[in-house]
Amino acid sequence: MKRSIQVVICRICSGAANVLDTDKLLRVASEAPYVGSAIAVDYACNTKTIAQIVEEAKDKEIDRLLVVPCSKNEVSPALFQSYKRKAKINEFLMEAVDLVSEVVLPHRDEPSKAQAKAEAKLLAAIARMAMLEPLQKGSEEMRTKNVVIIGAGVAGVEAAKRAAEAGLHTILIEKSDKEVKAPGVVMPRSRLISAKGHAGNYELTIEAGEKMEALECGAVIVASGGDWSEAKGPLVRACPEAKPLYKLAQELSSGNIPKGGVVIVDTPDPKADTTPAQDFAWEEALQCAIEIKKRESGTDVCLMFQEMRALGLAELSYKEAAELGVRFVRYDKKRPPKIDSKDKNRIVVIDSAQEQAIAIAFECLYYASIAPNPDNMAIAEALRIPMNDSGGVRRGSMQKGPIATPRPGIFVCGSAQFPRSEEMSRLEGRAAGALAAQFVSTGTVEFGGSVAEVTPEKCSACLTCVRTCPYEAPFIGVAGKAEIRLQLCQGCGMCVGICPSKAIELHNYTDDQLSAEVASYIGGDF
Amino acid sequence: MAERNPKVVGFCCEEHGIECANLAVRSGKQYDVSVRLVRVPCTGRVDGIHILKALEDGADAVFVLGCLEKNCYYDTGSIEGRKRVDYVKSMLSQVGIEPERVEMFNASSSMAWKFSEIVSKMTDVAKRLGPIEPRGDGQ
Amino acid sequence: MNNKVLVIGGGPAGLTAAQALVSNGEEVVLVEREDTLGGMARELACKGISECRNCGVCYVIDLAAEILRTPGVEVLLRSEVASVDKTNDGFKVKIRSSPRYVTGSCIGCDKCTEACPVEGKAIFAPTGSGHPRAYWIDRDRCLHFKKAKCEKCAEVCPTNAINYDDRAKNVTRNVSRVILATGMDPIDAGEIPRLGYGTIPNVVSSVDAERALNEKGRLVRPSDGVPPKKIAIIQCVGSRNEKAGVQYCSKFCCKYGTKIGQLMIDENPDTDLDFYFMDLRTLYEPQDEFKKWADSIKRKVEKKKFPRVRLIRSMPSQAFPGDDGKVWLRSSGETDSEVTETPYDLVVLSVGMRPRTLPEGLARSLGLTTDGCGFARCEDSELRSKVAVLGAVCEPMDIEETVTRAIAVGSVTVRKEGAT
Repeated sequence: MKRSIQVVICRICSGAANVLDTDKLLRVASEAPYVGSAIAVDYACNTKTIAQIVEEAKDKEIDRLLVVPCSKNEVSPALFQSYKRKAKINEFLMEAVDLVSEVVLPHRDEPSKAQAKAEAKLLAAIARMAMLEPLQKGSEEMRTKNVVIIGAGVAGVEAAKRAAEAGLHTILIEKSDKEVKAPGVVMPRSRLISAKGHAGNYELTIEAGEKMEALECGAVIVASGGDWSEAKGPLVRACPEAKPLYKLAQELSSGNIPKGGVVIVDTPDPKADTTPAQDFAWEEALQCAIEIKKRESGTDVCLMFQEMRALGLAELSYKEAAELGVRFVRYDKKRPPKIDSKDKNRIVVIDSAQEQAIAIAFECLYYASIAPNPDNMAIAEALRIPMNDSGGVRRGSMQKGPIATPRPGIFVCGSAQFPRSEEMSRLEGRAAGALAAQFVSTGTVEFGGSVAEVTPEKCSACLTCVRTCPYEAPFIGVAGKAEIRLQLCQGCGMCVGICPSKAIELHNYTDDQLSAEVASYIGGDF
Repeated sequence: MAERNPKVVGFCCEEHGIECANLAVRSGKQYDVSVRLVRVPCTGRVDGIHILKALEDGADAVFVLGCLEKNCYYDTGSIEGRKRVDYVKSMLSQVGIEPERVEMFNASSSMAWKFSEIVSKMTDVAKRLGPIEPRGDGQ
Repeated sequence: MNNKVLVIGGGPAGLTAAQALVSNGEEVVLVEREDTLGGMARELACKGISECRNCGVCYVIDLAAEILRTPGVEVLLRSEVASVDKTNDGFKVKIRSSPRYVTGSCIGCDKCTEACPVEGKAIFAPTGSGHPRAYWIDRDRCLHFKKAKCEKCAEVCPTNAINYDDRAKNVTRNVSRVILATGMDPIDAGEIPRLGYGTIPNVVSSVDAERALNEKGRLVRPSDGVPPKKIAIIQCVGSRNEKAGVQYCSKFCCKYGTKIGQLMIDENPDTDLDFYFMDLRTLYEPQDEFKKWADSIKRKVEKKKFPRVRLIRSMPSQAFPGDDGKVWLRSSGETDSEVTETPYDLVVLSVGMRPRTLPEGLARSLGLTTDGCGFARCEDSELRSKVAVLGAVCEPMDIEETVTRAIAVGSVTVRKEGAT
């Protein structure tokens, strides 16, 4: 079929009629090469008008459509569907030309110049459309509707529950052998070793005990959490009986209220260069302090911190704790608290509020601590997702939301990203479960269309594309040349822009197509 | 030297780049008719050759407008775009063309004011520097 | 089974919940009181220059535009819930929509506001960066509805989008669940008069600062429009304040205050900043990140380096005006042992928030109560499974947390009482 474009100009709802001479636009369009039909209508979303447009398209053997639409700047869904079904036009050969935002709105006060620009833009769009190729999207069934969750902590279990509520089968990979109450399958003493495949059809290799197991799933949730184990730091070295804060919470809930002095420090390593914000700890620390004071008002409780991060409603607990007699000491990182060298049960610190050194006696010392999970690096490498500066797994851009990683189908929640309170971890787990469920529930995965393709003869296998792509789409195939995994390609064109041999093209955004558009648009007077 | 209107071309990404322009325009802001925009899926798609060809085709100034770094829809796209623009700038210096003719900007879809600023800046450059002087041997 | 959900409020919480619900196959009726979607985020500025600072504003603006394109969401703007009655499987809701007088053909060209003869105008542009970018007429100010029969805006509209015959509409919807996401109001900095808001020209609130940054990308002194060389940002204005009746911490102000500070400093190499705070509660980043950044920003004068950013742990006691529009702040240092007075070109007061008041009738029908601080809760044992409260109306939270909670709770209505 020869290339033949139908140009449809919406006169009224684009506002074009008041700034531009739409008759002249129509004339310019109809005289352009490859244009088989040019019509101006009042509203191209009107059913009768659509029928007329499509009839004309079939008569003139049109194979591609260019619309100057209203301010919604899209080919109206009804027109799009009609074209696809009745005129059998390829969906990638239907584009809108946004004259509203680019000409009508910004250049109202200069109608003659606006006219010139509108004509140039239309001709450039026609030049581009004439060069486009029909493209096909592919789709693949998800072989399973499993959701694999790495880490059976607070976030992971909540994610499993939420995904199960949506009817999905969940598999929790847990490195320890603790008891886990969760729906689906729990694999104890297991670790993620490697991952292949793409969103919708991942193939994971899990080391379960001593065996290697293969797992298929549609989505992966990283909920590996932080490292709550006894942490290192000068305070812990000097006072080996010091315990992490969560142990205090456990003791209180089993009824052991300390009678001797309690000191809670915000970190075991106060001089550490970048202390992750211990927000999660402050609600817990305040609750523990309040409970101790309520049950044993004689017990001295002291909280030591660099910043009193009682966020939001926890501020009310701060007030309550202070009224109950809990002592608060703020210190400066440069003058951190130290265990008294002469008395292991005394902690010495310069109280910033008083600028004085004070010594606090204690029977039990607790520290809030959470370190990044040391396994995060291995997990991130296996899944090919990036890490952040705090040793956690990074989420993607804010555009994608707080739970998604840059790779489709992989989500991150809880302290795996950044230290979180229990409540926040639960919520993030739930959100991750909801997002994974929504992703997998469709059952199919679409790909292709406007994606990248390598011309092997031009490829010098320099690996630049492989290193640049955030989605792992390019790889060096058996022929020793780069190939693009269609199911992973997101159509951004980064590899295309960077390839030094110009061996990759992005379908419908090829160099020739872009050049033709630019040359047409900026040739002539502005 | 013939008087002609300045010509500025902007390569805008389909995500935040064009949305920033759209928000500006739909907040009533007008901009200089000397600016024409070309859409790309991501500024990482922009290759040095597109910028250079645009200059060759008669543009006095070229800008590339992408998402804010670390907030790129394609994760690292606008970082790649900036690398390309920096590379072109260094090439231009070497052949005696003012590197300020080519510039990279980042914006988000809620920054209506930024597009106006970008347009002002680049049209100033185009007016101040004028067309690129052709070399005597017709290059 | 009825799978329609009513979402009251079109800010970050409402929008995210609507999206989550639709992705799970439900239908949504989204009721928004104002003319555009986006809530408070419409008038908040993006705080990045070339790098994103994670404020979350663009996420909300993008989502607002997308919700308008989502087929499963019925968006009712300039609308309020008039009544809610219990039914067998949920609620019968009556919604009243105020007329906009501008149709969907509006392309936002601004010709109408230019033509409007009313002082202060009667036809308005969409608020902030909100979507849709369509104008609206305030009937109470418009001359057409008084004897004048003015039609100036209709005359200039290029797409015939003015419709004076628009009428208030009352619609009834049957829904199975209700989500309340009515959001918050910023605290009026004038409630703390000693800091000079409203009396000293170059004292602005963070709300003003965000609006100026969002509209113009610049924050200048109101008195003379000159960019400030020395700025003070004061945190905790209104929050953690017994007198103002706000005992809680508003949670997000340190995040935004530090980012506004960083934006001002990065944009203007001539500007210095004094950051007054009580406790530094930045979110989602290492505790001392802001302090490290502050230490790294120095100005080189001859061979010596001077800090441009100072963190001062103090709540200034008094602002008073000086010559040349300067604002003097009196404060004690970290140890309350000395009192200093420092002049500034501009003072920004970071105000906190109060949850929006619940309309009484709505609260009763939905079994909603407020806790001691005014935050909404649904504690009714019968209604808890059908009513959820999301976003800043139930607890102080920033955009990122709001979005996470809304995704977590949005698809299944769970009772909210501080923990899910």
